[in-house]
Parts: sequence; structure tokens; C-alpha cells
Amino acid sequence: MSAAATAQGPAQSRRGTTFTAATLLLPILLINAIGFMLPVANLAVISVSEIRSSGAMTGGWSIAKWTTVATDPFYWELLANTVRTSLIVTILTLVVSYPIALCLHRMNGAWKSILLVLVISPLLLSSVVRTYGWIAILSDRGLVNSALAALGAQEPFRLMFNLTGVMIGLTEILMPYMILALLAGFGRLDPRVEEAAATLGAPPYRVFWRVVLPLSLPGVALGSLLTFVLAISSFITPKLLGGGRVFLLATEVYDQAIVTLDWPLAATLSIIVLVVFGLALAVYTRILRQIG
Amino acid sequence: MKRRTFVAATTSLIVAPWINRASAQQPVTINVMAYTGLFQDRYTAAVVEPFMRANPGIRVNYSPLPNSAAMIGQLRAQRAAPQVDVVILDVTVAKVGTDEGIFSRLDAAAIPEINELYPNARFPNVGGVAVTFDNLVMIYNTDAVKPPPTSLLDMATPGMRGRVAIPGLPDIQGMSLVMILDKLNGGPGVEGRFAKGIEAMAPIAPNVQTWEPRPDVYAPIINGQAAIGIGWNARAQVNADTSNGKLAALIPKEGTVFQINVINQVQGAPQAQAAQRFISYALSAPAQKAFTESMFYAPTNAKAQIAPSAIDRTAVKFLDRVVPVDWIAVAGVRDQIMDQWRRRVIPLSR
Repeated sequence: MSAAATAQGPAQSRRGTTFTAATLLLPILLINAIGFMLPVANLAVISVSEIRSSGAMTGGWSIAKWTTVATDPFYWELLANTVRTSLIVTILTLVVSYPIALCLHRMNGAWKSILLVLVISPLLLSSVVRTYGWIAILSDRGLVNSALAALGAQEPFRLMFNLTGVMIGLTEILMPYMILALLAGFGRLDPRVEEAAATLGAPPYRVFWRVVLPLSLPGVALGSLLTFVLAISSFITPKLLGGGRVFLLATEVYDQAIVTLDWPLAATLSIIVLVVFGLALAVYTRILRQIG
Repeated sequence: MKRRTFVAATTSLIVAPWINRASAQQPVTINVMAYTGLFQDRYTAAVVEPFMRANPGIRVNYSPLPNSAAMIGQLRAQRAAPQVDVVILDVTVAKVGTDEGIFSRLDAAAIPEINELYPNARFPNVGGVAVTFDNLVMIYNTDAVKPPPTSLLDMATPGMRGRVAIPGLPDIQGMSLVMILDKLNGGPGVEGRFAKGIEAMAPIAPNVQTWEPRPDVYAPIINGQAAIGIGWNARAQVNADTSNGKLAALIPKEGTVFQINVINQVQGAPQAQAAQRFISYALSAPAQKAFTESMFYAPTNAKAQIAPSAIDRTAVKFLDRVVPVDWIAVAGVRDQIMDQWRRRVIPLSR
């Protein structure tokens, strides 16, 4: 009897743990189902809805938009352009954020707190406001071109209403996210390991290349994923700084949904954005596994 | 019957007519959905408030949205239980709403003002009727462009390189520009998918600074970021006044096209009768006069007697320059025009 009771104990305990886990997971599962799965399912339904050329939904079904997206080279170009632009923005953001994050990680005391607040403070402002700030800086009569003119430049440089403007704007806007992710990843960076490498005669660049960078790779991967996903779904900055010349998936979704009223096409493109997110996540997981 | 029950029943019989009258006098609230910003400010002052003063039993709640597509989006979402009674939006989107059964057909028997409208204010396949006419104009910064432009091709001169602001396709301002150029170059219009108009954009496109002027096309021209562009007359006229003449507007010699806003009653509107009363007022000559004199939209009511100072700033005196456009037919080929725009116009401006 005592042996049976002993065997029953762990089984009951396992059941209890499973029940507790299920209860704890239930709220997030419900939120996810209502806030994410349901809208995505709705998007899928809209993407196969029939639409007249005027924009009126007929209530019927059609895969015309999926066929259009699959066969029209414009949409393939759009996808390639979006992924390429987001990748470049991610790399630029990483390059400018990494030294700042490393510097912050190595700081102590009040200065660290002050600088951290400065890094995070742009997040308190809407990206619309920050983008308008960039318009003031990058326009033909803006800060940069005025300074260049003072130095003798004859013609203003076209720094916005093109891809250059979009990249500058997005890089700055996404920097706080990258810095925060890098700081989280720098947790594994033990200064004693760097000291050990230096003591063994490694010059600073080799310490960085062989010790600091490998140990910070999880943070780099996380920051890159976050920045890439945010860049690919960015809509306001490309719209304001692109001048109608930069076609990205997010701006196209807006145009189709809000201007031309082609909801099925907008839904189809939105699902493609989700697929790209999924692929980015898969790549991130694979990289983490390789690092780890 | 107990004494108390008898007293209560008698009292309620005596008081009932007053209670009914009081509930009948409870103000009815109608929701009117239309454009936000300048349109909301001027329309509220010129039409909504005078209507409420004339109809104390009806309160109007103005629901502003930035554009027609956003309005139809909200109406689609409310289809099972409409919350909006009256909607003012672009005619192409009104056609979509009519096709989807969102708008009911306005009846001249219930709204006699419909009989006073110009013939081109009524459409066979749209439930509502036109409430405002606007038209495309050239706009320019008076300090930067001297002498004033006269032709759309003034946007193609070398001096305007990087100084032109055009709301490009799919915005209907860009579409209007293409249609005017198509007509100018002998294009057949919808049948030819405005190919001649697209072709005629070639000298203008390299000068374009932005195809997406924000927050609208008027602000960058007023502040000097751009020098010249195209816009809608009504907003251009108001901006000309508020900028103290920094911005000016004119109808180019190549012509203009009308943009039409339609007033619609939502199918199953919660307050159908009050909604009809509002539509009736909005289409009436006094309301049309007030709004034209406030914001320079051309009136759709033929009986509206507009002050010369206002009518001169609409397209009414330039009807010979108006290029006729069937917006509903244009909406049907918009994808094909858009495709050509992306392939043949945008690359020229990079």
C-alpha cells in the first residue's frame, strides 16, 4: 500500500503541475487567439474575397489577388526591395548602436543612468514627430544642406524623398530598440575574460574580435531580429521620407487598403509580411542554436 | 379595485399625453461622417450649426475621418448595426458603398431639393447625390514662382527641378493631372487607359521633389520647401487666404477636372427621418450658398445664389475648361493606370 501511495504521489504531482501550467497559460492563449489568430484568420478570409474593379466587395470568393501577387513581377520586386531595405537598415542600426551599447555597458554610476535615459527618450516621442524632425534636418533648406551650402556646396544634396532619406530616418528611429537588445545581450560579457585575454598578450582589436564580439552575439541576434521586423513593418517613415519613390510592402498595404480600397490585395500582402516575419524568426532561432 | 391602484391608473391616464409630448421633444442625435480638418471646421460652421438652430429637435454629431476609404472601412465594420446616418465622401467610393448595399437610394419625393440640383450632380448607379464640386488647380508659392504660371507644363521647366510637389497616383489629384494631359495630347481617355497622359508626364516627372507631400500639398508650398504643384481648389483658396497670399491657385490653360463629393444616407440608419432632413438641408440653396462662400466648393444646387466674390474663386466661370470625367469608369481601370504610372513615370523621377 505504501508503495502504491508512493507511485501515486509523483503522478498526482505531475497532474497538478500540468493543471497549474495550463491555468497560467490560458489567459495568454485567449489573448493571443482573440488579438492575433482571429485577425490573421480574418485577413486570410479577406485575401480570398472577390472584389469588383471599382473596389466593391461582392461577397464571393476568388484567388485572383494571390495569382496577381504570384505572377506580377512588381510584387516580387516589392518583396525583394522590402527585405533588402530592411536588411540594410538592420546592419546600419547595428553598426551605429553597437559602440553606444558597449560604452553604456561599461559605464557605471549616474552617467550610465543619464545616458541610458537619453538613449531611451526618443521612444517617448511618436515616430511621426521624429520623422518630421528628419524632414527639417534633411530637406533642401535643412540643417545639413545649409551647413554644406555654408561650406561652398552649389547644389543641395537630395537627402530625402528617396531611399537615402528612408534609411537615415529608419536607422535613427530603430536605434533605441537595438541598443536595448544589445544591452540585454551584453549580460554574458564578463570584464575578467577580456582582462585575461589582454594579460595573455592579445591586442585590443583581437580582444574585441575573439572575446567581446562572440560573447555579445546573442544580443546582436536579438537586436537584429527586432530591428528587421520593425523595419519591415515600418510605414510612417517610408511614407514621409520616401516621397512616393520608395515602394515597400507596408506602404503598399496602406495604399491598397486606404487609397484604392483593394482590401483583398492589402490582406494578401499583409499575409506575405507575416510569412517574412516567420522566416526571420526561423533564421534567428537557427542562429541562436548555432551560437549556443 | 383598490383605492391606491385606481388613483395610480387615473393619474397615469391624465399625465400620459404630457409624457409622450416630452419624449417626442427629446432631441434626436444623428451621426454625420465626413472629412476631418478644414472641411470639418468650415462645414460645421456653415451647415451643421445653422441646421441645428433651425431644427432644435435634431442634434448633429460630426464624425470626422481623414478620407473616403477610411469612411467606407468603418461603414463596412458597422454593417450589421449601423451607427452612422449620413456620410459625405468621394463619388467613386460612394459607388462602392452603393454596390455593397451600404447606402440607400435618395428619393426626390422625400428630399425635394434633389430636383434643384444640376444634372451632373445625379448619378444612375450611386445612391446619394453630389453635395459639393471641387476642381483641380495649379498652386504655387508667390515668392518663388515669378511670373505666375499659366500652364501645367510650367512644372516641367528647368528652373523647377526638385521644386514640384504632386500627390501622385493612386491619389486622385495625380490621376486628374494625367487625365487632363491625356485630353491635351488627344488621348481617348478611359478606353486608352490614359496612356497619352502617362506619356505626357515624362517632362514633369524629373522635376518632382515628392509624390507624397505631407501633411498635404499646400503646406510645403507655403513654407517654401516646394515651389509649385497641384491641389484641390477649395483647400487651395482657403490656404491662399490663411497664408496671406504666400500660396496662390489658378486653373491652368490646359483645363481642370471636377472632384465630386456625394451625400449619402446609410442603409438602416438609426435616425432615418432626421437624416433625410439633414440631407435636405445640406442640399438646399441656403446651405450650399453658405458653404461655397465659406470654403469655395462649387455648389450643386442650381438655385444657390452665391456672392460674386466667392463664385469667382470656383470653377463655375471656367466650365469651358472642365475636362469631362466619368470617375466611376476611371475607378474601373485604375489598376492598369497605376501599373503604367509605376513603370513609366516614377522611374523618371528617381
